[in-house]
Amino acid sequence: MRRFGSATQLAAPVALLALVGLAGSFTSRSVQFQFRFALVMAAIVIALYVFIGNSGVVSFGHVSFVAVGAFAAGLTTVPEALKLSLSPDLFPIIASAEVGNAMSLVLAAAVGGLFAFLVGVALMRLSGLAAGIATFAVLVITNNVLRNWEAIGPGARTLSLVPESTSFMQATVGVIAVAILAFLYQRSRWGRVLRASSEDPYAAQGSGVNIYRQRIVAFALSGALAGFAGGLFVHLLGSITTQQVYLDLAFLTLAMLVIGGVGSLWGAVVGALLVSGVNSLLLSAEDGIGLGFVDVDVPTGTRLVTLGAVMALIMLFRPSGITGGREVRLPGLR
Amino acid sequence: MPDAMLEVRDLEIRYGGVPAVRGISLEVGKGEVVGLVGPNGAGKSSTLLAIMGMVAPHRGDVLLDGRTLVGRSTEAIVRGGVSLVPEGRRIFPELTVDENLRLGLQGRRSREGAEEDIEQAAALFPVIREARDRHAGVLSGGQQQQLAIARALVARPSVLLLDEPSLGLAPKVVDDVFTALAEIRERGVTILLVEQRAQFAVGFADRTHVLANGQFRLTLTPADAGDTDKMAAAYFGS
Amino acid sequence: MTDALQTIIDAIALGSVYALVAMGIGLVFGVMRLVNFAHGELITAGAYALVLTNHLPLAVGLLVCFATVIGLALAMEVAYRPLRTSPPTTMLVTTFAVSFLLQAVALLAFGARGQNANVLEKLNTAVSIGDLRIRWVTLVSIALGAVLLAGMALFLRRTDIGLQMRAAAMDFRTAQLLGVRATKVIRFAFVLAGVLAACATVMLVVSRPLVTPSYGFQLVIPALVGVVVGGLDRLTSATLGGFAVGFAAAVLGDVLPADGRVFLDTALFLLVIVVLLVRPGGLFTRSRAAWERV
Repeated sequence: MRRFGSATQLAAPVALLALVGLAGSFTSRSVQFQFRFALVMAAIVIALYVFIGNSGVVSFGHVSFVAVGAFAAGLTTVPEALKLSLSPDLFPIIASAEVGNAMSLVLAAAVGGLFAFLVGVALMRLSGLAAGIATFAVLVITNNVLRNWEAIGPGARTLSLVPESTSFMQATVGVIAVAILAFLYQRSRWGRVLRASSEDPYAAQGSGVNIYRQRIVAFALSGALAGFAGGLFVHLLGSITTQQVYLDLAFLTLAMLVIGGVGSLWGAVVGALLVSGVNSLLLSAEDGIGLGFVDVDVPTGTRLVTLGAVMALIMLFRPSGITGGREVRLPGLR
Repeated sequence: MPDAMLEVRDLEIRYGGVPAVRGISLEVGKGEVVGLVGPNGAGKSSTLLAIMGMVAPHRGDVLLDGRTLVGRSTEAIVRGGVSLVPEGRRIFPELTVDENLRLGLQGRRSREGAEEDIEQAAALFPVIREARDRHAGVLSGGQQQQLAIARALVARPSVLLLDEPSLGLAPKVVDDVFTALAEIRERGVTILLVEQRAQFAVGFADRTHVLANGQFRLTLTPADAGDTDKMAAAYFGS
Repeated sequence: MTDALQTIIDAIALGSVYALVAMGIGLVFGVMRLVNFAHGELITAGAYALVLTNHLPLAVGLLVCFATVIGLALAMEVAYRPLRTSPPTTMLVTTFAVSFLLQAVALLAFGARGQNANVLEKLNTAVSIGDLRIRWVTLVSIALGAVLLAGMALFLRRTDIGLQMRAAAMDFRTAQLLGVRATKVIRFAFVLAGVLAACATVMLVVSRPLVTPSYGFQLVIPALVGVVVGGLDRLTSATLGGFAVGFAAAVLGDVLPADGRVFLDTALFLLVIVVLLVRPGGLFTRSRAAWERV
């Protein structure tokens, strides 16, 4: 019975993601992009959740791992000539590297995970306010370095001509894989120990739990997943700039997680898909769309205001999010 | 029994589902001194915090001169005439003695007579005059306790709550504190006194309730101060 | 030699402005344990108020600016009330959201392209003192900063409400037990923070008249860095930290070669991380206390 209950907890988010993937493939070309975008966002948000949801520590810096993953995947799937024309000073090893699409995603995950591991070793002793500020610092530093160090990437210029290989199949399978890994982690001994420690740090320390080490594990895993999502991201857009993986994305993904519910995988998925949906709707409304018999045309910028307002309201009045931070439960089962 | 100045009725306090106080009732008549003793964790401090509005009771009521206090803000309760001398004194070490005292004035209903009350407090507690402009952190434990009581007094309370005033003090110093408390009692202030070192409370209060595990076990009078069995019960709550 | 002196004087001016902002952040933190990420939006609001009253007499413009900033600060006090008992991470994320919301509102209302607030342009002219050519705004910033900081110090030390604010910052619970009115003290802190922010805005707008939706946000991030680096727990160390960051940013901006300058942010934020790891209480505090242990 228990196993059946926990299977539901995974099945629900996976089913929802699969549904979105399936439904999206039947829509018109212009809308298809929005659906795939939503799935990639979900992957990023799940990655974020793996750390924040289990450790109770806020990280503003996860988009750094998305960024390095995106650039790693992007730089290894464009022709050398293009890379050198963008940044003549590029390290030869980066310039000459060229891998297939699948490999680029693996590489993105590896780079993200490694970077997160190193950052984690430095920062995971911090909690609360200090952690928030320190991870924000990581975000700024990563952006600053990527933007200006032309030996490792295109700097401020757009890296384009990246193969747009994130099809519906890739996006859906990719995000479901991320969800499964997130679920396996939170069910594992490590994940449960970390979550328990976040709820009662003194009891945990008393039981000999090394919170520092557990946090590093969660951080590195979430970094790898974020990097992977970054790979999906760059292959969705076909190009990438440093501004696309900076403050706006950081805010958006955090908002998605918070609105959905920080404490559960279900919350992460629901938040990401719901906010993406509203986001897309408002984006279209800004261009002026017809909703049946009514024409909706809102001024540009309404989207961001709405998003910000919703996030602020949720944080003030229902900080546990729409799902209340709970996983899906079948009535009667534990 | 004179009119109850302070009344606690069927008070239940829970911290996240764990009961700390399981339904106690007591009355403190006008001008009376009532003691509350018992082992650590018995719920004594929780009771005082609930009276002050810092902790919301799960059930029950607290009445000041017939008016209910539950649900009101701490600032309103202080202004209503209840002052607490907290456990561990909790004076502000980086503020001067004078500044500490002036903070106590915030609890007054009106500014009138503030200077007189300060003078009276200074008369009762010499440390205030002696160390007026010094930082409260340099005072000894006994002096800090005096300051804490003075600070509560200048709010002109009708009811004074004290949470373990003897904590960490040598017996001679405790004597001085209780001498001052006796004078405060002379002035007609109603007092509810929480103590872990039961002998101080039992000998001083009109009656003393023994609290253990969130419930009242027995009630002692000053006559019981010499009774070893009863005093043991007071300490260990058996 | 004169170049160095010039740089230092400019740095003191920028430091003064940052100090005012840092002090505002520190005041609110002291009474509420809240780091207001949205503090910068007070500056943006004031700056846009100056933009909108460009064509009106100076006095009107300044009045509107102050009214706007203080009004927004009071609105924030009300909005943040549900947060009073929240854990610090919830506070952090919420103020981050409010900051984003207000920036989005500014973007919606004014567009992404900058607008000019041409206020007190005469202050941009320079006066010669010996070999130095110093702009009036630099001198005014330093003077105003000094006056305001001294004024605040006096206010906190001599007035009743100042005493209450100091006590609340030291031990909020005990202050409450003494009858200190929590809401009144917090509201006062926000108002004072607003006043300081408004003054800082006026000084900033003179030197940097181009106002964009992220005008204040870009400033508050280094100021926040300064507050954390200086020492969040105490008002003096927080203010000093703000001053230090402003000073350092100005000096480094002048002194660094062009290609090094782009990494200024990195250097600054690496410093923040190091301070948080090594001396979480802050650089300018006496003890090595950390806010949280686990």
